[in-house]
Amino acid sequence: MRVGIIGVGCSKFGRRDDVTIQELSYEAVKEALDDAQLTQDDIELSIVGCVGTRSYELMPAVPINEYCGFTGKGPMRVEAACATGSAAVYTAYTSIVSGVADVAIAIGVEKMTEVDTPTSLAIGGRGGNYLWEFHQYGTTFPGYYAMHASAHMAEFGTTEKQLAMVAVKAHRNAAKNPKAHFQKEITIEDALGSRYITYPLKLYDCSPISDGSAAAVMASEEKIRELGTDDVVWIESVGYGSDTSNMTNRESFVGLKASVIAAETTYKKAGIDRPVEQLDMATVHDCFTIAEIMAYEDLGFCRKGEGGKFVESGESDLGGKLPVNTFGGLKAKGHPLAATGVAMVYEVVKQLRGEAGNLQIDLKNYRALTHNVGGTGHFAFVMIFGR
Amino acid sequence: MFIESRELVMKHKIPVAKTSKYWQGLEEGKVYKTVCRNCGRAHYPPRAECLCGGEVKWVEIDEEGVVEAFTVVYAIPRGFEWSKPYTIAIARFGDIRVMGWAENVKVGDKVAIKTGKDESGVWKVYFEVV
Repeated sequence: MRVGIIGVGCSKFGRRDDVTIQELSYEAVKEALDDAQLTQDDIELSIVGCVGTRSYELMPAVPINEYCGFTGKGPMRVEAACATGSAAVYTAYTSIVSGVADVAIAIGVEKMTEVDTPTSLAIGGRGGNYLWEFHQYGTTFPGYYAMHASAHMAEFGTTEKQLAMVAVKAHRNAAKNPKAHFQKEITIEDALGSRYITYPLKLYDCSPISDGSAAAVMASEEKIRELGTDDVVWIESVGYGSDTSNMTNRESFVGLKASVIAAETTYKKAGIDRPVEQLDMATVHDCFTIAEIMAYEDLGFCRKGEGGKFVESGESDLGGKLPVNTFGGLKAKGHPLAATGVAMVYEVVKQLRGEAGNLQIDLKNYRALTHNVGGTGHFAFVMIFGR
Repeated sequence: MFIESRELVMKHKIPVAKTSKYWQGLEEGKVYKTVCRNCGRAHYPPRAECLCGGEVKWVEIDEEGVVEAFTVVYAIPRGFEWSKPYTIAIARFGDIRVMGWAENVKVGDKVAIKTGKDESGVWKVYFEVV
């Protein structure tokens, strides 16, 4: 059975001191319902993705569900660290495929700015194995990726300048996205001159601490026919991978095995063996610039070790062979953890429908990819969408 | 306009009975892994049960290691306010890898494994460049 996306919504990302987590969720939900031309009455199941802990509601699913008007329909709360949004989409997808529901909504929301930065770092630093990592060594989320960067640089000669190029591209696209956290371009010099957050990653190598929400209304093919919806983006395939909580038990630090597994699974189902030629665009998980470089390699956009050269080539820019993170990526659009995966779906749906305004890509294959990583490759989802 | 939430302090009691040999070892300057007597698999962090069902023995890690990845943390998380910027490294010691604190390391450096107590009273692994 095919599952289609019939409505998407996304809030303004950034520091959202003006709303509670429930109110923020409703911004995306309302836009998604309006986009689908449906009301709360039409939704059979709500999936609420929220990592939480940084926001004052520690069990946020029910308050969010109530405020959005879905009481009695779900909520099913999911959590997969920074891949929580994709876990919500995946859960809605499997619920529809299994016949549990014909119409479901996947909601991803995060309020990250209700605590201070050291607290946020201490929560993110628990995104591995608390007792064996954070407790003793004070690992942080940027620190985990920085360790990967150190290994990638040592093995392949990847440079801090190549990392900076990822940030420059992200900011260039985000500058044209009114919903992005940062709407300003930066130069290579700005990025290279910024202070170290955790060596070798600098301020501009890191995604910001953001608030935001996104939502996607999904339905079975039969239901879509019944509703008479004509502008549908189909989920062609979903892939999921995971890896150890302890960094010491990983196979290597120059890539994320979970991404490779998720990509292999989804490519096989969708018949993709030359992603750069067969896809029109991709959203990849660029929580840190090194993450985008590893993603190019792990997803087969280039060979292992050549991610730095891939960004240098300009092929991932708007107008390149495979534009990547056209709305500004996590790096500049913002990374409200659970919102991110659903916001990736929002981006590919807008692009595939030709509604991306001055960020619109050329459509040839009418196929796009989302790649969403939880933690440092603890989870990964890769999905292919088509229209 | 904001309302401040009520304060919630969380401090968990972590049960380490099954790995007590490891935690006591740190205080004696020793770092242990476990090795399965049945399948030979080595475990670090050590675990008292092998996935094959075999019994494990505790083996001290005392050989030289090689740094595979590291970072210097400048943006310090809550819980480590007392520390100056610190370096976390992951080094390979034969069939396992170990995380530890280090100074002035780079990928490929050879290191010796030590233990010590940090300023907050937590015992852990330190690496010294050989």
